[in-house]
Amino acid sequence: MAKASTKTNAQNLQGNNACALAAVAAGCRFYAGYPITPSSEVAERMSLELPKVDGTFIQMEDEIASMGAILGASMGGVKSMTATSGPGFSLKQENLGYGVIAEVPCVIINVMRGGPSTGMPTRPAQGDVMQARWGTHGDHQIIVISPASVSEVYEQTVRAFNLAEQFRTPVVLLIDEVIGHLVETVHVPDPASLDVVDRKWADVAADKYRPYEAGKDMVPAMARPGDGYRVHTTGLTHDESGFPTQDPETVDRVSKRLLNKFDPHRKVIDHFEELNVKDAEVLIVSYGISARAARGAVKQARDAGIKAGLFRPVTIWPFPEKALVKAAKKAKRILVAEMNAGQLSLEVERVLGRDRVSGVNRIDGEAISPADIIDAIGKGA
Amino acid sequence: MRVAAKKAQDNKSPEEFEIRLSGSGGQGLQLSAKIFARAFSDEGKFVAQSQSYEPTSRGGLSRSDLVVGQGEPDYPLATKVDFMLILDQLAVKKKDTAIGDGALVIIDTRLVTDPPKGNFRVLALPLSDTAIGLGNPRVANIVALGAMVGEGNLCSLKVMETAIRQCVPKKFTDLNIAAFQEGLKLVSEKST
Repeated sequence: MAKASTKTNAQNLQGNNACALAAVAAGCRFYAGYPITPSSEVAERMSLELPKVDGTFIQMEDEIASMGAILGASMGGVKSMTATSGPGFSLKQENLGYGVIAEVPCVIINVMRGGPSTGMPTRPAQGDVMQARWGTHGDHQIIVISPASVSEVYEQTVRAFNLAEQFRTPVVLLIDEVIGHLVETVHVPDPASLDVVDRKWADVAADKYRPYEAGKDMVPAMARPGDGYRVHTTGLTHDESGFPTQDPETVDRVSKRLLNKFDPHRKVIDHFEELNVKDAEVLIVSYGISARAARGAVKQARDAGIKAGLFRPVTIWPFPEKALVKAAKKAKRILVAEMNAGQLSLEVERVLGRDRVSGVNRIDGEAISPADIIDAIGKGA
Repeated sequence: MRVAAKKAQDNKSPEEFEIRLSGSGGQGLQLSAKIFARAFSDEGKFVAQSQSYEPTSRGGLSRSDLVVGQGEPDYPLATKVDFMLILDQLAVKKKDTAIGDGALVIIDTRLVTDPPKGNFRVLALPLSDTAIGLGNPRVANIVALGAMVGEGNLCSLKVMETAIRQCVPKKFTDLNIAAFQEGLKLVSEKST
């Protein structure tokens, strides 16, 4: 049909649709969710794509059940995903914690809208940064990724599945409403050309298998259902056998393994973009749609002779602190641009100290514009 | 892992422009934007298309924006539009700072009674009346596409027609192509 389009493989694709296509390309074969604006197109597209690849789509009774279903599917050996927005993400937190402690690979898409509560369904926000980090209770680590374009939604959705599989962890993709609903011209890669990672399956003798015993990489191998291994899975703190324990020495050991699990892998997990940071006196730190505004603002500021730069974390949790310290070396001022009242800026302050850091914030349901950032750069000069 | 930053881009060249299609919900503005996006990307351009609408299927302010250029724009949302369509008075702002200097603003004579004023050119055309003349007021959005392409020289007519055929329901193809042609005529008659 579309000759010009198929030749270059270019198509105009919406962020939410790109997410669904990438999920299937990454091997996702199970989706459970409860549709909610502005994420509903992810569910809609999954319901169309999964049947084509013998996958399963379930519209669940609510978000809590959806989260439970994708954990169950993943424990059953299938890559799984759910998508939601703020109110639904709140509901998923308890089961998300189960995914963390039971080390169940899965991907949660949160297309952020104005909050708290039902807030503004169709308006953009980036208010779930801290919830994604700390929404479920107890000390824990989690991987959170925030893409800034439709093509990056595709890339990072694939990457989210790969990280979830490689490190046996839930991975959250934080998309803002603007990027979720934005249509951009993208070149969708041939799924066969993608690097797709599958989890490490147990291959020891069945009587030697200990479900939560990890080697140097700190990631235990999973038992594939049907391979004859006996596995017990629980949300209670468990030892390497998978059964609950409250023995202080054991609890300390297994908890620390879980908390430090990502440490040897930060080179793979950390992901960021830098623009003109080397000599930057004003460094903008931003992510998602706000980083697109920052990109424009940095170039405009440079044209005006101001040494501005951009540090854009793509993986926002764990936060790429080492890279930020390096990027901020010459900066006299750090501006954190985000559509909330100041969330990632808390982390930037933790890393760089409070003296240099201030925020460029909007909480009125409108995206931050390049002009907003230019104004903020000008105010401190 | 560090990813390469996008290359620096020059300031807006004539090859980069912004379009805003505005009116009320149900007027087909999202479809018009989709057709535009299709045509521009078929010509090898990069398109970023965003929209804003209220949670009703008809009525309420509806808006679709396109940022068109040669590669991924730094900022994908419209900030100063070069071409604007207004199909309903609802979409007229007293002081609209989003309309760029020298922009072309096409408005409907029947549905926009109080046009916006500013440092831009307003062209009032009987878009909805022409659609009614074709037997279906709902193709005013496609008449408008014809007028915008004709007056703004936005893209090749052939590519536009192909995009229309690909985006509208089959049984309405002829009507929509006719509407597009009538829109072109509105502006060619005006200039002769």
